[in-house]
Amino acid sequence: MSGVKLTNVRKSFGPLDVIKDVSLEVPKGEFGVFVGPSGCGKSTLLRMIAGLEDTTGGKIEIGGRDVTAVEPAKRGVAMVFQSYALYPHLSVAENMAFSLRLSRAPKHEREEKVREAARILQLTDHLDKKPSALSGGQRQRVAIGRAIVREPEVFLFDEPLSNLDAELRVQMRLELTRLHRQIGATMIYVTHDQVEAMTLADDIYVLKGGHVMQSGRPLSLYDDPDNRFVAGFIGSPAMNFVTGKVTGTGNGIARVACADGTLDVALQGALPGPGADIILGVRPEHLAPVEEGGLPVTVEVAEELGGSSFIHARSATGADIVFERRGQRDRLDGQSLRIAAPAENVLAFLPDGRRLR
Amino acid sequence: MAIIRNKRRHGLVALSLILPFLAIFALVFAYPLYEVVRLSFTDAPLIGEGNWIGLDNYVRLFSDRIFYISIKNNAYFVVLTVIPTTLIAMVIALAVNRLSGRWQALALVLFFTPYVLPVSVVTQIWAWMLDFQFGVLQPVFTFFTGKPVPVFKNPYWVLPSIAVVTIWWTNGFNVLLILAGLRNIPTDLYEAAALDGATRRQLFARITWPLLWPVTALVLTLQLILQLKLFDQVYLLSEGGPFNTSYVLLLMVYREAFQLNHGGYAAAISLILFLLIAVVSVLQYQLLRIGRGKDT
Repeated sequence: MSGVKLTNVRKSFGPLDVIKDVSLEVPKGEFGVFVGPSGCGKSTLLRMIAGLEDTTGGKIEIGGRDVTAVEPAKRGVAMVFQSYALYPHLSVAENMAFSLRLSRAPKHEREEKVREAARILQLTDHLDKKPSALSGGQRQRVAIGRAIVREPEVFLFDEPLSNLDAELRVQMRLELTRLHRQIGATMIYVTHDQVEAMTLADDIYVLKGGHVMQSGRPLSLYDDPDNRFVAGFIGSPAMNFVTGKVTGTGNGIARVACADGTLDVALQGALPGPGADIILGVRPEHLAPVEEGGLPVTVEVAEELGGSSFIHARSATGADIVFERRGQRDRLDGQSLRIAAPAENVLAFLPDGRRLR
Repeated sequence: MAIIRNKRRHGLVALSLILPFLAIFALVFAYPLYEVVRLSFTDAPLIGEGNWIGLDNYVRLFSDRIFYISIKNNAYFVVLTVIPTTLIAMVIALAVNRLSGRWQALALVLFFTPYVLPVSVVTQIWAWMLDFQFGVLQPVFTFFTGKPVPVFKNPYWVLPSIAVVTIWWTNGFNVLLILAGLRNIPTDLYEAAALDGATRRQLFARITWPLLWPVTALVLTLQLILQLKLFDQVYLLSEGGPFNTSYVLLLMVYREAFQLNHGGYAAAISLILFLLIAVVSVLQYQLLRIGRGKDT
């Protein structure tokens, strides 16, 4: 197994720079997820690793070998496409054995590998069927099987679950995690769905506008984002943001006037001076109603999820605020109340989006 | 009761919807077909009634030398055109498919333009290009055979020449059909195959060819039917000559009906041609479908 290392990788389509100087490393055996909004370049980056797109600049290494100019089949990668890209005229077994047939592998070897992949993916009963006779989830598994049979050093997944319904997606997510444990190969997975990223990844790489905004373990990105974009992108419902001005500082705490109320934020570094513009970010689970202080809000809608509920409220200045309640059944619809969060759970960002720690 | 009445009304509505079609179909297809069958058993002239003569027309047909020449020529022409035009169209479509944007549109226009031309213009163009004395293509013949060839007056050259004219004329449409088929093959499949290690030749043999096969079978069948109905080009370029060597069935029908006033006999020939086309095209399509099943 091998890791994947990108050094100063760039990609332009004519005058349009899609990937701007990306350097990252997915260590061997890890499950790395590229996540970002549509158009951020994540799929292009994956296709560049696969060799399906030329590289405008920089270096791509797989297992320590420079593969920047190597053709796709010789990079030791297998890819699972969003559309599955199954050969419609071939049976499931033939689809999975396609690469082995091309390389003229002996028949018994082909059959053995296909049988093994089919066993792992529970496709044994479907080997003679054509892809058109399979359900979405089964087709997905055939596509994965086709990758497994090649025994690649690196698996690449391009939004493989986006064509499945919600329930099947959850199930396939678990199966992918299990598969990764079972075969231990390096996997790179592209998605726009941050829930998928959080649940699957060893490491998440958040992309925006052709740059890696931040990478790291899912929970470290969630708890300790480097910038406002990552803070807002990771987490569902998204983090609440309110803009305000610093009114006073002391003991590592800055008091910020915002949305007709005040919030305290704990900072380790130099505190901003009074009057400085600042954006505060608070996760819904850290906000709770308080007797006094905090922000005044009016509750608009409650999303009841059973164990917990997400309360959608509006601040005095019109900002949307979401907070989570657990185990309480009384309804708050239409009520005016005050909410606040502990200072250590409030994050501060500069107006340009950088995190203030 | 209500359900039964509704069912009856449902039937009446359905009938009223298909009735106009049935009426027109009966008027312009079923009735003429019946008339052709009836005429073929009479000695009727082109216009007017004739006498019932039983199978005499067919007996005469099967001892008519020109009938056999025509059948042979129809078959020869099918061999000269159907598979060659399909292969040429495929090569052109594959090439055009690799062009992008404006160049692709331009290439398509160039290949499709001949198809838009009326047959008389096409035959004029080629009669001029292949003219024995002034034809711009005669130097080619001189180069290969040592002397100019009056192609439409030469028994060996006449049908191959008409085949070339026909392919030039109708190929654009086949290119269009095959190009549509090519565009229907998702690029993902080529990318997946590239990752699987397929060479260019393997891409064609294992992805393009099998996935294009339904369109190829359609083109082959349409061409077969079209080329069996050959008439205009022969009529305009060689009139069946020289020495009746380029006679085809439809030209025979034309001569018997409109030049010799043998309505009954012409009806018998056209009925044979109709059956021939029906049987051969159904047979071919079935064979191609079986071929497709084996292909995987």
